[in-house]
Amino acid sequence: MGFFLVMKAELVRTFIIMRRYWFSTLMGIFIGYGMLMALIYGFMNSSAEPTDVGEVASEVGTALESRAADNGFAVNATESALGFMLGMFAFGIVGLFTAGLQGMARTGELEQVCLSPHGLVTNFLARSFVASVNSIITWCILLTLISYSVDSQLHLDIVPLVALLFLTYFNLIGFGFMMGGLVLVFKQIGQVAMIIRLAFIGIPLFVSESIYDWDIAANPFLLVVRGILHIVPSADAAICLKMVLVGGSGYSIFAHPSFFWLIVNGFIWTTIGIACFHYLESWSRQKGTLGAY
Amino acid sequence: MSHEYAVELRDIDKVFHTRHFFTRDEDDNRRRIYHKKTVHAVDHVDLAVKPGEVFGLLGRNGAGKTTSVKMMSGLIKPDSGEVFVDGMEVESNRLKILRKVGVVLEGTRTCIWPLTPLENLAYFGNLRDVRGSVLRTRAEGLLEFIGLKDKMNVQVRRLSRGQKQKLAICIALITDPQVILLDEPTTGLDVQSSRSIKDKVTEMARNQGKCAVVTTHDMSVAQELCTRIAIIDAGKVVTCKPTDELLDVFREQRYEFRLDRTPDVAPLKAIPGVNNVEPLNGQEEPGLLVTYPADQELRSAALYSTIQHLSKEGLVLRSVSQLQQTLENVFLQMTSDKKASL
Ligand SMILES: Nc1ncnc2c1ncn2[C@@H]1O[C@H](COP(=O)(O)OP(=O)(O)OP(=O)(O)O)[C@@H](O)[C@H]1O
Ligand SMILES: [Mg+2]
Repeated sequence: MGFFLVMKAELVRTFIIMRRYWFSTLMGIFIGYGMLMALIYGFMNSSAEPTDVGEVASEVGTALESRAADNGFAVNATESALGFMLGMFAFGIVGLFTAGLQGMARTGELEQVCLSPHGLVTNFLARSFVASVNSIITWCILLTLISYSVDSQLHLDIVPLVALLFLTYFNLIGFGFMMGGLVLVFKQIGQVAMIIRLAFIGIPLFVSESIYDWDIAANPFLLVVRGILHIVPSADAAICLKMVLVGGSGYSIFAHPSFFWLIVNGFIWTTIGIACFHYLESWSRQKGTLGAY
Repeated sequence: MSHEYAVELRDIDKVFHTRHFFTRDEDDNRRRIYHKKTVHAVDHVDLAVKPGEVFGLLGRNGAGKTTSVKMMSGLIKPDSGEVFVDGMEVESNRLKILRKVGVVLEGTRTCIWPLTPLENLAYFGNLRDVRGSVLRTRAEGLLEFIGLKDKMNVQVRRLSRGQKQKLAICIALITDPQVILLDEPTTGLDVQSSRSIKDKVTEMARNQGKCAVVTTHDMSVAQELCTRIAIIDAGKVVTCKPTDELLDVFREQRYEFRLDRTPDVAPLKAIPGVNNVEPLNGQEEPGLLVTYPADQELRSAALYSTIQHLSKEGLVLRSVSQLQQTLENVFLQMTSDKKASL
């Protein structure tokens, strides 16, 4: 099967590059860790405004020492760290289809991929799958480090987690394919895509199960907001993942409305995305923008 | 190959539209908020290449060679007309056809720089559905033949430009394709390597019945390598002939007369049948370069008249020679702005 062959090639390539550039791989993890710790620090200390870096460091230190005292904070912090990671994950996956594809078109690598008899869609499915696995592993390492640092217990229920991660992947690549197709045809979309990608960091950071507790009767507008959140990719995924990993809901997540939304959302986005991509790919061959950017 | 033509373009037309916002137009030097430009890249082209042929596409920069090659591999869709590869229409059988063609595109970054040539071949082989032991033996064979064996385990970013070009050719050949499309394959290659590539292409065409389409700016490559040549200019096919015939078109036309002094050119130009007379300037000996029409009788009469005229003037005729026609001359004459009519 084409998909697996391309996936194998892509895996080997990713692995070789990670090994050959081990320093930047390690630095990536360190930077991720640093960013997350800074974020968590921001959450704990939103009232006191630190003035210089040294102070920040020492305050993080003392805050971490007193972490056990306030378990509510730890849950909250892990939850937002998780949201941030998911946001970064979405940022990366959508970026593969926007900035990544743009770069490939510019260098001519895209034309090479287009010459593959497996087709561009299969190639990009495999590519994004490998990129996802890669970043999920990285984020797992980070998450373990973080939860250790802030002493919060994560609930690692493998089956719900793998199911959720799969669905999240389909949720995101559908959208990615759509953006990717647009980038193929319209060069200017790249800049707009950046804004959308940034929004993808924000959404999973702030949504949580509490959207179901909103008082719709008091403010009908919230119904619209909730509807939008169900439509955009990654919101429901964030809710579910937070519930499983932090809330420990385990298998009961399969009965949760967000899980249902995630399936529907993933299915619809993937279908729309791949259909759009097919159409736009053929259009870009018409316009000759696959190579000349 | 089962079909009469390995590659066939039927009445292909391609117009590119580009949109420009807030730019100064180069043509009339006016600022415009929005300006749509069109380029007629390929203008109703008909070409057919048989299996076993090495077909050359020549033309000036922007003539539409790359666009034609990309249309043969399905990277660009023609606006109208149909492209056939091995009897199959490209647009509706694109993925099938990609298994039969190997393409080297000009100046693009074909390979992945942090990987070595061998890893690149493995990667692109997988992408093109070649795997396992077939892939390994083919990859090593190709690297051996092209002379990259000693650089097999060096990262591509450390290779020279010519070595990268060689790798690009290996990548195109990894599928053992029936149709090989080479867009400026010998750019940046040393004499030995371009020799070995020419030999390989000739061998594949002659012995394995494959067909190759080669675009190049190197006339000697085209003259040596191609069995048939098409010259395109501004998207139109100016001529399409076997290489020998193409060279013949102008062959009997130019004669060099070596004399003891340079005579007056005007009366010679008046001789019926003489197309052009130029004094040989900047040469050691004085002389004339006279151009005659291709038609044999006309030329014969004109040649006699020229010699008679020269002897009447009392000039000493040291030698007369027919100039060897090179592809470069033919090309220049066919694509010059005052195009030779054929
Ligand atoms: N994607 C594109 N969008 C717009 N115009 C294009 C595109 N690709 C090619 N063109 C235009 O089409 C014409 C033919 O281009 P092409 O690349 O086929 O020329 P070429 O014969 O390969 O030239 P060269 O010898 O320089 O490689 C050029 O005028 C070029 O500007
Ligand atoms: Mg070209």
